[in-house]
Parts: sequence; C-alpha cells; structure tokens
Amino acid sequence: MRNRQRKLLQLLDKSGASLHALLTRLTLRQDIAEELMQELFIKLSNSRGLDKVANWDAYARRAAINLAFDWRRSQKRTPLALNQVHEPASNDSSPLSKLIQTEELEEILNAIGQVNGAPREAFVMRYIQQQSTDDIAEQLGKTPHQVRALCSKTLNHLRDVLAPGQSQSPGKELYDVEN
Amino acid sequence: MSKIEEDEIRRRLKILSQIEPTAEASHRATERVRDTLANTEKRRVSTRIWRAIIKMPITKLAAAAVLLIAAGYTAGRLSAPTPDMKQLRSDIYQSVLEQVNRDRQSALTNIRLELKDELNQELRRDLNEFGVRILAASATLTEQRIIELIELIEAARARDRQLVAAALEKIEFDKSQLGKGLVALAAKTSELHVKKPD
Repeated sequence: MRNRQRKLLQLLDKSGASLHALLTRLTLRQDIAEELMQELFIKLSNSRGLDKVANWDAYARRAAINLAFDWRRSQKRTPLALNQVHEPASNDSSPLSKLIQTEELEEILNAIGQVNGAPREAFVMRYIQQQSTDDIAEQLGKTPHQVRALCSKTLNHLRDVLAPGQSQSPGKELYDVEN
Repeated sequence: MSKIEEDEIRRRLKILSQIEPTAEASHRATERVRDTLANTEKRRVSTRIWRAIIKMPITKLAAAAVLLIAAGYTAGRLSAPTPDMKQLRSDIYQSVLEQVNRDRQSALTNIRLELKDELNQELRRDLNEFGVRILAASATLTEQRIIELIELIEAARARDRQLVAAALEKIEFDKSQLGKGLVALAAKTSELHVKKPD
C-alpha cells in the first residue's frame, strides 16, 4: 500500500499539472477541476486493480476524462466562468461575447460527452490535448490508423449533433491540429 | 440548433485546447491532492491497526468473557430473592445518617482548624505590623533627641568661643595698660636722675 502511495505521489508530480489542465478544459471551471482532481486521486488510491495497471498515466487520464464527462452529465445548466482562454475567439471581449463563447464550448463538450470509450479518449487526446496520432496510438495500444478512425468517428458524431441535417463526408479527420 | 460548419468545430476545439488553468490553481490542486493522499494513508494505517486488533484471538476471548460476565450478572439479578424493602430502607437511612454525621463532624473539624490557622496568621501579621510601627516611632524619637543634643553642644561651643574672645580682648587691654604704665615709670625715673646732681 505504501508502494502505491509512493507511485501515486510520483504520478502527481509527473502528470498532476497536465491532468489538472485537462480537467479544466473539460469542465471549463478551475474549482470543479480541483475537486475532480482530488476525487480522481482518491479513486486511484482506492482502486483494487491499480497494481495490475501497466501505464498509470494513461489509466489516470482515462479516469480523469470519465470523471469530467460524468460531471458534465450531472450538470444540466450551470453558470460558467471561463476566463482562462489565451486567444479569444474575437477581439470583442465583452461579457456577452464571453458568454456566447462559453456556451459554444459547452455545446461542443456536451456533444463529445455523448461519445463513450476509446473514441472519446482518442478525440480528447487529439483535439483537446493536441497530441499527435502516433503518441496517442502508442498510449492507447493501437495503430495510428485506428486512432484516426476513432477520431473521425467522434467528429462525425459532433457534426451530426451540432449540425443536424447537414450531409457529412464520413471518415475524414481534421488534420490541422498542432503537433 | 444553427448549422455549424467544420471550421466552426475546429475553431471551438482550438479554443478548448488553449485553455490553461492558472499556475496558482494548478499548484493549489496538486497540494490539495498531496494532503488528501497523506490523510488517506494515515486513516488506512489506523483502520489496519483496528482490524488487526479485532482479528487477534485475545480480542475474541475478551469479548466472550465480557458476554459471559454480562450473562452471569443478568442471571444473578433475575434469580436473586426479593429483598426486605423496609429493612433495606432503614439500613440505607441509618447508613446515610452516619455518613452525613461523619461528614459534618469532619467538615466542622476542618473549619475549626482553618479558622485557627487564619486567626494565628492574622495575629502574627498584626504583631509584625505593630513591631514595625514601634521601631519606626522609636527611630524617629531617637533622631529628635540626637538633633536636640547636637543643638545643645553647638550652643555651648558658641558660648565658650564668646568667653574666650572676651578674655583675649581683656588680656590685650591689660597689655596696653601695662605698656603705658611702664612708659610713665621710665619717664619718672629719668626725671629723678636729672634732678639728683644738682
């Protein structure tokens, strides 16, 4: 048990900041991200099968994504405070534009939350964490081609949810992601 | 819902990917998790200790002994004959009365001793105070007497000095008279010597 505690502390030192950033992006709230971060590590600490897990980073990230989207599902409509965007969508930084932008981000996050499992994880890693398909493939134990397919599936879902009635070109992934 | 083009989805995802928590928030979250993990470990150790204690054979034996004692006590209570309540009440009354008397006697003795002590202390305090006052008064009186004595001595010395001065003045006067007398005598003697040859 002490060994697990030590490993968790190592994980916290190594990936704590990135996990917190991921939770902030998925919840759009720093206070909730802090709460979920604590919940995540408590869950990891109490998890019985954790000792059998080979890649703790990947496991923790997956758990964080699940926690964040579970929290999103439990929140139907909550007041949001998004003030961490480095590059605003427009030059207009009025409260109204911020509110509109927050609602837009909420909309897309809720649409991502409707997808489950590996497609959602791969999509989050690719488009929200901005990781390369090769890195994602290595972390998920899949080929880059499979990762692109998963992302494409999620993207199609987003198109269906956010733009119903519009014909889509299936299987085409966005390629302008950084990395 | 409005139609959203692919560019719009891309734009929103880009904004999402650029959201960063503040360094302060990140540090606070990390420290909070660290504290939580430390507390969880402490709780876990405590639970393990209790679990180990409960699993020990002696704990089971102790629990069985407690149950047996409790069962025996209950059985004893239930099977005991009903006591004579009048006799019991009388005994209890007598016992309580004796106890109250003893307590009262003891309390009175204590109070008497305390009063005696207090009186002794009071008397000692008064005597000390009286002694201090007498000492102070006698010291004042002695000082006055000494001052008077010094004044008397000073007056006597002044009078002596005046008498000595008067005596010295008289001696000086007598000396001058004697000188004048001797001069007159010498003059008379010369006159006599001048007249004799004739």
